[in-house]
Amino acid sequence: MDTEKIRKDFPLLNGKEKVICFDNACSTLRPNSVIEAISNYYRDFPVCAGRGSYRLSARLSEKCEDTRKTVAKFINAKSQKEIVFVKNATEGINLVASSLSLEKGDMVLTTDKEHNSNLIPWQMLSEKKAILHEVVLSNEDNTFSLESFREKMNENVRLVAMVWTSNLDGVTIPAKEIIEIAHKYGAKVLLDATQAVPHMKIDVADLDVDFLVFSGHKMLGPCGIGVLYGKLDLLEEMNPFLAGGGTVSYSDYDKYKFLAVPEKFEAGIQDYAGILGLREAINYLEKIGFEKISEHEKELNSYITAELQKIDCIKIIGPADAKLRSGICSFVIQGMEVHQAAIMLDEMCGIMVRSGQHCVHSWFNAHNINGSVRVSLYFYNTMEEAKIFIDGINKIVKLI
Amino acid sequence: MICIISFIMLSILGIFSASHRALAREAFDCVLRRITFRPCNATFKDKMKGKIVGKLMKRSVFAAKLFNKYLEAFSWIFFILMVASTFWAIKGAYNFYQYGSCNGLNQSGFCVFDPTGENNKISTISSDGQCSLHKPSEENLRLDGVKLEGFPEIKGNQKNSIVFIGCYNCDYSRKAYPDVMELVKKTNSDFKFVHFPVKDQTNFLSEYAYCAYNQDKDKFWILNQKLFESKKEDVQNSVFVDGLAREAGFDTEKINECAKSDETKKITENQFQTIRDLKIYGTPTVFINGKALVGPKPYRVYKGQLN
Repeated sequence: MDTEKIRKDFPLLNGKEKVICFDNACSTLRPNSVIEAISNYYRDFPVCAGRGSYRLSARLSEKCEDTRKTVAKFINAKSQKEIVFVKNATEGINLVASSLSLEKGDMVLTTDKEHNSNLIPWQMLSEKKAILHEVVLSNEDNTFSLESFREKMNENVRLVAMVWTSNLDGVTIPAKEIIEIAHKYGAKVLLDATQAVPHMKIDVADLDVDFLVFSGHKMLGPCGIGVLYGKLDLLEEMNPFLAGGGTVSYSDYDKYKFLAVPEKFEAGIQDYAGILGLREAINYLEKIGFEKISEHEKELNSYITAELQKIDCIKIIGPADAKLRSGICSFVIQGMEVHQAAIMLDEMCGIMVRSGQHCVHSWFNAHNINGSVRVSLYFYNTMEEAKIFIDGINKIVKLI
Repeated sequence: MICIISFIMLSILGIFSASHRALAREAFDCVLRRITFRPCNATFKDKMKGKIVGKLMKRSVFAAKLFNKYLEAFSWIFFILMVASTFWAIKGAYNFYQYGSCNGLNQSGFCVFDPTGENNKISTISSDGQCSLHKPSEENLRLDGVKLEGFPEIKGNQKNSIVFIGCYNCDYSRKAYPDVMELVKKTNSDFKFVHFPVKDQTNFLSEYAYCAYNQDKDKFWILNQKLFESKKEDVQNSVFVDGLAREAGFDTEKINECAKSDETKKITENQFQTIRDLKIYGTPTVFINGKALVGPKPYRVYKGQLN
């Protein structure tokens, strides 16, 4: 993988101000092709898809459906009908939470490291419909405990909703085993694949997952576009989360008839620019190849992890082996608040890292930790940047 | 403590910048927590600390280390300095409004509202009799027990007493006189006028004014105004002064005759000595209800001393 060549595709990396983007778990940078696709929409066919009978509208509709096909192929879905465009993964999860007929006494299982987007909807359902929400605790090193999961599984579990790769520490759960176990009990599985899709090849058919959500902005795509994958029969059974324009084939003053899947879930005008941008993002990732992406991230993360482990006052969250943490290295500095460290890295070296609780407040509160500094890498980051980061951290810890 | 400092600084910067405004809001939240004895918002505190220490790191690791370790102490020092400077700034503004000088009554130190010190410039009463800038002193400037008899006066409603000690030929007396007269007229105050010649060339005007006043008290004030309004060089000339007196309706022959008399000279010399005994160090000196104002003050300052 020619990182130097790749970096030329990203305007921010070639600007006057030198920045090191180590907050890719929050949002990645966008290559020129994605930016161009977004501006193409606004410049060349800024119309509504699926509504007009004129040529521009038809052309846009075709491009949007092409994207749906691209996404289906990207995650190996059986049909493009299984792809629902949503605003982001959060909306996808909320759609499932609202539309799946969970009733009083039904149980939903999550991990103990869920992003708020895959925690709050279940807590709300718990309050509203008296469903049961249970948490599967991780092992001591923060890896997934299949043993705890098996213990929690029972006939009441209707849904296992879990983050595939954690945005907190980069740990990936054994999704295939989890799905197999869940299905044995008749439970459905929803995977929050937001941090997984940008970094590894996804095959929903092989996984046999029931629902899977991800966001465009974490995989080179635009903000405001995400995907909900759902098995066709399940989607067909579900009622829309939002209803309105674009979701019905007929209505009069007394009744209405929903369109088929996926249109019935896509109410109102869609983020067409986002959809077109997403297609370019997928094309770009596929061109590079996930094996190379993963290998590069692990190399950088291994270096950073090894260097941080040399510093006494730094404690890494999650397993010591960087290869188990994707492109994420989350750590605390004893004797310094994480926000201060993050701001100093920006001030001193132009390094953008995330600090705080990364929307996983529940885990931090349970472990009585204020927050962490999180480095999240992507394929356009370089070893030189990693060295600058380590140099900055070494300077910072001298202050303690 | 850093919240309070930041709030004040960021509020000022926030007038000009939206990003600072957002930070000021965070700081305000932090201040609220502080005054309600809750811990300061850690995010904000760390943000400020990180920014400051991060910038210092680029220049001096030692300074960064020091600041990182003693941020709270530095914040307290800055806070105390800020409170002190705010107090002095408010006091300075009050002094300027009340006395025409940030430094207090008749104090001539630098004042940002009066950078050239116009309100405290005086014509110094010195041995060589030259007008010059002089650092004023308020020592012993009292009218208590002093009888200013025989000087031109206007009887008013006895609520306020104003005494103007000035010199016809001095710039700052000429600047102050119109304001003082306006105040006397508007407030119907008791008023006494004392000509104290700082320059020898206008010594004769003491006798001249004394005689004119005794000839016609009403016309004297017309002549007095003309003397202050005329060019400085002209009032040194007795022929010119005669002309002004004639315009005012005086019999100048009688005035000159009176002015030359030994009796007049004796009286004016006594008057001169009375004023010297007051330890006046410059003109104009205006006593309003016993309080001495040295130098040409703004009208509001004179008015502010009235009962």
